[in-house]
Amino acid sequence: MTSSQPLLEIKGLNAGYGGIEVLHDLDIEMHEGEFVCIIGANTAGKSTILRTISHLVPNVRGTLRFNGTDLAARTAHDIPSLGIAHVPEGRHVFPDMSVEENLMMGAFTARKATDLQQRMERIFELFPRMRERRSQLAGTLSGGEQQMVAVGRALMLQPKLLLLDEPSHGLAPKVVEEMHEAFLKIHRDGTSILLVEQNVSLALDVAARGYVLESGRVTLQGTSAELNENPAVRAAYLGI
Amino acid sequence: MKRWIAIAMFVLILAAVPQFLSPTGYWIRVFTFTLLFAAMAQAWNLIGGLANQLSLGHAAFFGIGAYTSTILLINFGISPWIGMFASGALGGLAALIIAIPTMRLQGHYFALATLAFGEVARVIANVWTPLTGGPGGLSVPFVPPNFAAYSFKQLLPHAYIALAALIIVTVIFEVIRRGAMGYRLRAIRENAAAAEVIGIDTTKVKLQTAVISGVLTAMLGTLFAQVAVFFDPDTAFSAASISIRVALIAIIGGVGTAAGPILGAFFIVPIEELMNDLFSSGAAGLSQLIFGVILIVVILWRPRGLVTIFEALRARLQGKGAQS
Repeated sequence: MTSSQPLLEIKGLNAGYGGIEVLHDLDIEMHEGEFVCIIGANTAGKSTILRTISHLVPNVRGTLRFNGTDLAARTAHDIPSLGIAHVPEGRHVFPDMSVEENLMMGAFTARKATDLQQRMERIFELFPRMRERRSQLAGTLSGGEQQMVAVGRALMLQPKLLLLDEPSHGLAPKVVEEMHEAFLKIHRDGTSILLVEQNVSLALDVAARGYVLESGRVTLQGTSAELNENPAVRAAYLGI
Repeated sequence: MKRWIAIAMFVLILAAVPQFLSPTGYWIRVFTFTLLFAAMAQAWNLIGGLANQLSLGHAAFFGIGAYTSTILLINFGISPWIGMFASGALGGLAALIIAIPTMRLQGHYFALATLAFGEVARVIANVWTPLTGGPGGLSVPFVPPNFAAYSFKQLLPHAYIALAALIIVTVIFEVIRRGAMGYRLRAIRENAAAAEVIGIDTTKVKLQTAVISGVLTAMLGTLFAQVAVFFDPDTAFSAASISIRVALIAIIGGVGTAAGPILGAFFIVPIEELMNDLFSSGAAGLSQLIFGVILIVVILWRPRGLVTIFEALRARLQGKGAQS
């Protein structure tokens, strides 16, 4: 652990919708350049963590800091300009826009930047299939390709932190592998990643460190190797 | 280029039509109202088409516009040309007040909430007698004909003012649709969750659109008042003949396209008049019944609006061209 200021600091976080609290007294810390995953069963509150960071959850108490900035003082549409890009669960693309338009929309808050073409070029290098499909409507793409569009759109911001919510959900194993290779590459290029995954073995494969979430509480944390060896994790999530 | 020629031709035809209609007759009146309703449906199209929020309360802004300029004319002798801007300001304010609580609603809930607001406006106009004259309505006072006073001997100038209004509102619609705001609205329409995470302030964009739509609708209310000369709360704030009609025109013509409301108005307004003309001497309600049947047939035949006829025609022509 370094002593420098963390990139993302979540302390004593309680969050929920309406009268229902989903996250209880949560602590998560992440430093620049890290690849961290949050694993756990469905309804454990994994997505809610990402949605809380992006200000999409109405009731929030606790500390949420990004790069020293207090996120509580910001609004949802402010978050991307701070350098946080969120790929929401369920492949949210703009179906009637072309792949290219979808990517350009990702840079909406940075539309005065002069290097948008280069940014798009880099995404085409990451997902060559996107280059072939650049003028096709996103709604007509396969599930995996739509996920690539959603990830590419987030990368157009050149974020410091990439939030990935169940990116492999419902995709063919081959596409999942392709996606995970892309994530490793994005991480190598200097973007910190916070990944939420139901598929625990996949998540521990790519991330260096992880948190285990159960009913809105962190029950375990450690490096991926430690979690992989942990008997509780193995029994509950890896089915070994 | 071809597109611009077609648009120019269409405007020229619209400009020529009044010259062939009797200047004191019935059909120039129908033509003027058709243009006004096309412009209103275009203003509605901003919120209904671009923001995908089906408003059924636009009579509120329309009525506020008609009443504001007329009250200013009666009480202070202010020319409706100036009063129109007061109408726009109040219409925009009303749109903001209605939009803040309703914009979070979607689909039917938004439609019903706006419908209720329109009705509230109608009731207020009926009971606020000292200001509005109550159920007795208002007459636009006679002013010697003169352009600056917005008073004319015939309907012909009104027809051209309505045409100018339609052009202006359509240009505003197109500029918004093609600009950054249009992209924001498109993103919200296609996927609100994704729009939010890429940094679009969805609430703000929707409010802006609602206000622009309200301003334009209220200003058109002033034009309507000047043509109609007399109106009461039940006509100016009518749910059926203003709010629903304006939405219907845009929907029948093609929501979200610039051509849709124009096509819709030129289909609905004259046909409705024609039906009244032909069948109102028969059984009561017969004309409405036949009009209703026509609307149902059209919506079943072209669910995405009459504009799709042109798309189909173009596709067929290009198909033939490719074969030869």
